[in-house]
Amino acid sequence: MSSLKKKRTLNFGSGVITPYLYIAPAVVLIALVFAYPVVSVVISSFREPGLLGKEHFSLHNFGVVFGDQLFWVSVKNNFRLFLTVPVMTVLALLIAAFLHEEIRGWRFYRSVVFLPYVLPVPVIGVVFSYILQRNGVLNQVLAAIGLGQLQQDWLGNPNLAIWSIWAVIVWQQLGFGIILFLARLMGVDSSLYEAAMIDRANWWQRFRHITIPQLASVIEFFVIVSLLNMLSWVFGYVFVMTGGGPSNSTYVTELLIYNTAFREGLFNVASAISAIVLAFASVILLIRWLVQRNLEDSD
Amino acid sequence: MTPISARSISRRDFIRLFGIGTGATILSGGALIGCGRSGSGNELLVWYWGEQEAQGMKQFMERAAKSYAEKNDTPVKTVLQESDTLYTAFRTAAKSGSGPDVQFFWGGTQALEDVWMGNVAPLSDNVPKSWLENIPRQSRRETFWNGKQWGLPFYQIGTAWAYNKKLFAKAGLDPENPPETWPDFLAALEKLKALDVAPIGSGFKDGYLGGWLISYMGDQNLDSIDEAIAVFRGDAEYSGDKYTEWVFRLKELIDGGFLNSDILSIDLYQGQDLFATEKAAITNSIQPQMVNWERSMGSDTVGVMLTPSFGSGTLANKASTPSQVLTITSFADQKEDAASFLEYLHTPEVMKRMYEQSGAVAPDKGFQKDWLNANIDLQFAEWASERPNFWYQYYYPFPFEREGVTPATQMLFEANGTPQEAIGMMQGAIKDWREQHPEQVKAYNNWHLLD
Repeated sequence: MSSLKKKRTLNFGSGVITPYLYIAPAVVLIALVFAYPVVSVVISSFREPGLLGKEHFSLHNFGVVFGDQLFWVSVKNNFRLFLTVPVMTVLALLIAAFLHEEIRGWRFYRSVVFLPYVLPVPVIGVVFSYILQRNGVLNQVLAAIGLGQLQQDWLGNPNLAIWSIWAVIVWQQLGFGIILFLARLMGVDSSLYEAAMIDRANWWQRFRHITIPQLASVIEFFVIVSLLNMLSWVFGYVFVMTGGGPSNSTYVTELLIYNTAFREGLFNVASAISAIVLAFASVILLIRWLVQRNLEDSD
Repeated sequence: MTPISARSISRRDFIRLFGIGTGATILSGGALIGCGRSGSGNELLVWYWGEQEAQGMKQFMERAAKSYAEKNDTPVKTVLQESDTLYTAFRTAAKSGSGPDVQFFWGGTQALEDVWMGNVAPLSDNVPKSWLENIPRQSRRETFWNGKQWGLPFYQIGTAWAYNKKLFAKAGLDPENPPETWPDFLAALEKLKALDVAPIGSGFKDGYLGGWLISYMGDQNLDSIDEAIAVFRGDAEYSGDKYTEWVFRLKELIDGGFLNSDILSIDLYQGQDLFATEKAAITNSIQPQMVNWERSMGSDTVGVMLTPSFGSGTLANKASTPSQVLTITSFADQKEDAASFLEYLHTPEVMKRMYEQSGAVAPDKGFQKDWLNANIDLQFAEWASERPNFWYQYYYPFPFEREGVTPATQMLFEANGTPQEAIGMMQGAIKDWREQHPEQVKAYNNWHLLD
């Protein structure tokens, strides 16, 4: 036995557990911040409110949600906003490919198209609320250039309001896709394009047979992120620009959750809506995982 | 070097790491929980609103808190809430069981919903009954439920139409005698339309106007408040002239072009600004706002009128002076001190100071009429003494407005929107509410109005 004082140690067998102990505090914190709220919301969604604060567990809240006409209006509007995704993807691809040609001033154009993306959503909402009012800037400009017949109540017409919000979202979010695709394009081997040009491939053929396949994984990422954004990041636009009106025509699930929880005080019903939205988002993520696995297998 | 996976860890190191991790977790959790309640010891925490509609209220509350603390050796902290977070912040605090001792609510069902959720303690359990008798019954009625008084009427907000006397005169109308019957009203609006101003200016993009419209017009064929809430108990059908004639009258206003053309794309306050800038002759407004206009535009310019009558019910003759309320929260640690502070706010010197600083009138028999110094305040005081007090919005459940009144009345502005469709939407909203909120239906069945 060594004359040195024997060190008392904790020996956890093979020592495999040791690294996990080091990361345990961080894991506990992350679980508290991320997992606890999710679990709490799911549990709340099963609590049925009673008079004077009494509660019991049931599926009542889900029944309330599925029986609420406004929920289906909200879901329909979220699906309408999903339509921004193919439009943004195609536009972003085309613009990125165009900028990649490095025309004169392309760096300036790149900054300009990205600028809307860095603006805060409430600011955009307030500004476009003024632009799109019945007596707002857009209608005044249309009248001034002799297109008065195109004037509309862009935010006050229930048939148009959601599409007005749709257009504002495309205007703002497009820049993100352009920058993403452009960054990837800059990493594509230029010899592929040179070889194609030697074979007399035109711009469209190069775009279709080189650019798109090279960008496949980034396109998939952008599509999935944009779909999730249309599900859970449009509250700011709707809240500021229309408040869900006119005639509840622009309600989205986030606004419904907010009003149900905080205007009506029905936290449990709002939790049920949140749980449904979470389930739907999980489906989107599952699709992403399957698509990604497919892409990796084909590589 | 030995791979990490094969190393043993010393007991001291393990305890140190575990302690660091646990400490970090507790600190972060404690920081989150600690946000719920500020103040310390026996400090009374009051969350309120009101600066937004009675300017000077913040200054008044701060001074009232200070003078109460000096007299009673109980520190009071007052926190002004924002409109959009008044309810969200409170209900979040209530969920955590930690928050203010005194909470402000907009009156009627907008306070009672939190009573039904168990967030409010009965005021009548904490103040003497004799003291409560100082508050007019018509004001107390709005938050009296299940045999108890829950809210203390804090200040009243007379609600009517502001009109521009000069534009009336220009249109050939009597500026001191606004129309009192519906046919006279329509005729007046036609004359005002010819002046190239909006006869009635308002905003509906934010959805608030729906509640105003039904409260101005929706009760004209009702004879009692009990009839108004019978449809929510299930004792009556929301149909017929009794409940729905107002929808047809509203459509007359819309089809007549008497409201500003951009009403659906601007907010309520933007629409009211049309009146302040004399681009509209009439607007919906509340007492403090009208008094401000009277002071800035002149009493020879700004007048106040009630909704002209088309109905034959007792409530067609009403004047609306509903009250915003203060309540003691169910999780308050110091309910006695909270009650004492509320009583202090209704002492004569404090009520007088509130009026002087904010223009807000306390609904209290001890409020002296000779303190009033604006014509509009005097007019509301006269109406309050002569007419029934009723504001429909303070008696119906919020989902009825959100899913019925607001989308239905917004839909009426569409060219092909019909009153029948609008009524159908409101009937559907009541049906859905009864099915989806049985606990609130039960609350309505326990709602026996204060006589």
